[in-house]
Formats: sequence, C-alpha cells, structure tokens
Amino acid sequence: MSRLLQKAIYAFVTIFVALTTIFFVIRMSPGDPVETVLGQKATQEEIQKLKTQLGLDLPMSSQYGNYLKGLTKGDLGKTIFGNKDVKELLKERMKPTIILASISVTLSAIVGIFLGIWAGYKKNKNFDKFSRLISLFALSFPIFSLAPLMVLLFSIKLNLLPVSEWGSLKHMILPIVTLMIPLGAIVMRVTRNKYLEEAHSQWVMVTRSKGLSDVAILLRVLKVCLPTILNVVSIQLSVVIAGTMITETIFDIPGMGSLLFDGIQNRDYPIVQGVIVYSTVSYMVIYFLIDYINEKLDPRTQS
Amino acid sequence: MGKFTKEMKWGLGILSLYVVWAVSWFFYRYTIKGTIFKPYVPELDMKLELALPFSKGLVLGADLLGRSLLEVLSAGLTYSLTLSMIVTIATASIGILMGYMAVKAPSWFKLVFDLLINLVFIFPSILIAIMIMAVTGQSMQGLIFAMIITGWPGYAKIARGESKRVLSLTYVEGARAIGIGEVRLFFTVIIPAILPVMIVNMVLGISGVIISEAALGFLGLGGSPYSWGAMLSAAKTVLLEAPHIAMILSLTMAGLIIGLNLLGDGLRDYLDPNKG
Repeated sequence: MSRLLQKAIYAFVTIFVALTTIFFVIRMSPGDPVETVLGQKATQEEIQKLKTQLGLDLPMSSQYGNYLKGLTKGDLGKTIFGNKDVKELLKERMKPTIILASISVTLSAIVGIFLGIWAGYKKNKNFDKFSRLISLFALSFPIFSLAPLMVLLFSIKLNLLPVSEWGSLKHMILPIVTLMIPLGAIVMRVTRNKYLEEAHSQWVMVTRSKGLSDVAILLRVLKVCLPTILNVVSIQLSVVIAGTMITETIFDIPGMGSLLFDGIQNRDYPIVQGVIVYSTVSYMVIYFLIDYINEKLDPRTQS
Repeated sequence: MGKFTKEMKWGLGILSLYVVWAVSWFFYRYTIKGTIFKPYVPELDMKLELALPFSKGLVLGADLLGRSLLEVLSAGLTYSLTLSMIVTIATASIGILMGYMAVKAPSWFKLVFDLLINLVFIFPSILIAIMIMAVTGQSMQGLIFAMIITGWPGYAKIARGESKRVLSLTYVEGARAIGIGEVRLFFTVIIPAILPVMIVNMVLGISGVIISEAALGFLGLGGSPYSWGAMLSAAKTVLLEAPHIAMILSLTMAGLIIGLNLLGDGLRDYLDPNKG
C-alpha cells in the first residue's frame, strides 16, 4: 500500500513539475499571442483591453495562481485564438490521436511479438535472416521519410488509398501502417532476443524433459518475455507520441499533435497547457498500468 | 572481444563511403569551387527548377529552388554528420559525468537526478526540443542545446549502471589502496572501463541525433536550410511533379542510418562484456 502511495506522490510531483515548467517556458518565449490575434493595425488600447480580458496583464505569479485554481475545478481556460473552450477542443481533437496511437501500438505489438518469436524459433534460418534485414530497414526510415514514400507508392502510383485527411477507415490505413513499421520492428527485435535468451535456459529444458509440447513451452516462454516487451513498449511511448505528432502533420489529421504544434506556433498558451496536462496524465496512467501488469506477470519486480 | 562480424564490416563499408563523400564535398566547397574565406554555396537557378536526374548537366537533377540536388544533398550530409557528432560527444560527456556523480554524490543529488531523468523521459523529446526552440528562437545553438537537454539522460542512466559495476571491482580498490585521488581515479580507471559500452551507445546515438534533427527540420524547426528534414518537407509538396527528390533524400538518409546501426550493433556484439 505504501508503495502505491509513494508512486502516486511521485506521479503527482512529475505532473506538477511538468505543467509548471510548461506554464513559464511558453510565457518566456518571444512572441505575443494578443498582438498576433489583433493584427498589426491594433492600437495599444485594444491590445491592453484584450489582455485584461484574458488575464494576461496580471503578474506571472497571479496568472499561475489563477491557472492552478482553474485546474482544481477542471477548467482549462479558453483559447486565445477564437475564444473556444480548451476542454471541448481537446475532447474533439483527442479522438483521432487516441485511435491512431492505440491501434498502431496494439497492432505493432501483436505483429512484432508474433514475428519475433517466429524469428527466434527459426534462429539463423532464412526467415530469421530475412526478418532481421527487414527490421534493420524499418528502423532506418524515420516516419517523416517513410510517409512520403508510402504516399507515393499507395496513393499516387497505385491509387489505392487517399493521400490525407481523416474520416473513413481508408484514411486510417496509411498513417497507422506508417506508425506501425518502426515500432513493430523494435518489438520484434526485443522479442527475438529475449526469446532466445529464455529458450535456452534451464527451466525450459526441465519443462521439455517433462514432455510438454512445443506449443505449451512456447506459451510459457512468451509469458516470461512479456514484461521485458511491455517495458520496451512503455519506453517507446514517447517515441509514439512524437511519431503521432509528425504523422498527424503529414497526413493532415486533426488530432492533438497538430493542435499542440499549432498552439506552440501561435503561442496560444491555454492550448499548449491543456495538451500537456492531458498527455502527461495519460502517460502516467499508461505507465502505472504497464507497471501493474508487469507485477502481475512477474512477482519478482514487486520487491 | 569477439571477431569482426559481417554486420560490422558492412556498416564500416557503408559509413566509409559516406565519409569519403562528405570529405570530397568539403574539399570541393573550400578549394575547387570556393576558398576558405568564401566557401561555395549551392546556387539558385530558377531555370533549372525540378530538373530531372541526368538532365541539364546535373547528375541528380535540381530541387524546387533550382539548386543542384547533389550539391544540396552533400551540404546536408556534412551538416548532419558534423552536428550529430558534436551533439553526441557533448551529450555523452555530460551523461557520463552525471551518471558517475549519481553513484558517488549524496542522496539529495540522487533524488534530483532521478526526477530530472524521469521528467525528460516522460516528455516526448520532440516536445522538449520544440519548447526550447520556441524560447531560444530558431538557431543552431538552440538546436544543439535542445538535443543535449533531451539526450543526456539516456547516457547518464547507462553510465550510472556501468560506474556502479566498475566501482565494485577489486582493481578499483587496488587503485584506491595505492592512494589515487578521486579525480585521477575517474579519468584513469573509471573512464577507460566504461568507455567501450559508451562508444557503442554513442554510435547508435549519432543515428538517433540525425533522425531527431531531421524530424525537427521536417516540422520547420531545423537549424539550417540544408537540414535533410527541411528538404524532405519541401520535397513532400512536389511529390506529384518530382517524386524522385523525396526518394533520393529518403534513401540517402536511410543508407547513412543503416550504416550507423550496423556498426553499432556489430560493435555491441564485438565488445559485449557479458559474452566474455
């Protein structure tokens, strides 16, 4: 119990530090959102008026106080551009991102684990060599160089899939596959190496000598490998977030990544803060979840 | 120590090709077409806009500003290689120092160290980089600073583990027994012992830096107009008219990354202390 409490405190501190840093860093960066909103013709009075309205004329410390007060009530403020409710905007923009990230992570985990085990099982056979070559290539084409090539092949040359935008299932295929390729390759590599490490250990020999079938042994080895694979996936989460952001800008998907990018470009403070709050909190939740599953799978990690 | 694997030979082969390319561009730029004081810059020529490969006297054709694609590509290569090496060496040095200090320092330092590392790990590094670039403005210094900030925790974690391992070995005790000071111990005993592992990670780190620099360039936050990422993002807009530009760029970048990854993996097998 105390361990859980310790972790919760740790998560809380991390979230707090993260959103505080963002709050001050984005305000310190050059560029004034109010002047951008009103354009160059705006008089000093108009600028002052809008600043008062948005609460941006207050000293930084009281702005920060107001922000925290709002947060405790679940209020993320209103955007500077267009005066929309940040919470509503985030709710709307979250959907594509969550769909994109969750489907590609799940699929690449399944495909990666399957291929990794298969490659380990067929060690040094043709399939293993071939899959290692493929994973080397997959890791060497970053998302932003892979995506144009995919668009070129599937949308322009073969005319099978739409180039950009979001909506139907057809729109999702290219972005998801683009995100899957590097992640799947990493999962595959880790699974293969971990499988080989375990498959030659003594406990596997014991189970084999007891006369268990190959499939039963495979399942047991897989259970032992899972925590390592999950850990790698959790480390790759930040890569996934960055990847989603780039994918969203490439394929014109109205998600959180493109929202954040535009928010930073326009210095729209509430949007940036909102996205950061949402992403750190969800990151923490996923982190805890993976930790919990790992503990259930491997009781040794509890100590 | 194992023997040179096939992977490593391929990696070294590919990398030496790139290095020869970069060096010859360097000479071309500073001696043949320009001088040391007035280096040659790829020329704009709107008449050549989007010229196809092997046309108008250009081997790879021209980009959408009419610059020779081969020259722009070479400029990008030298930029990418120098930047990634500077960043990697700086990042690894900071990481090693911090990691070692985390083993030796008082407990409050360890707490701060853990918190810092976790913060950097939790935030997607691209976000931190964008934030820093927003504050410092779009510049080379900002880019290098951002990459160091996001990169050092990775090295620090490895350096901490390695330092812990090395510090528990008997020859460190022996070195202490003959009265070596802390600073000398760090430089003459610890560094040589942890360097092999760090070098493997640095080779893989260079390819990581090349990728993240290009990613930032792609998002319009690069430090140079010759960033491959910025070129790719421009090439993306003319994908219909001139698909070869995006293809050449992607393949050139992928080749370099493949070479680095092969060398890194090969070195890891070669130096792996666990395999004995």
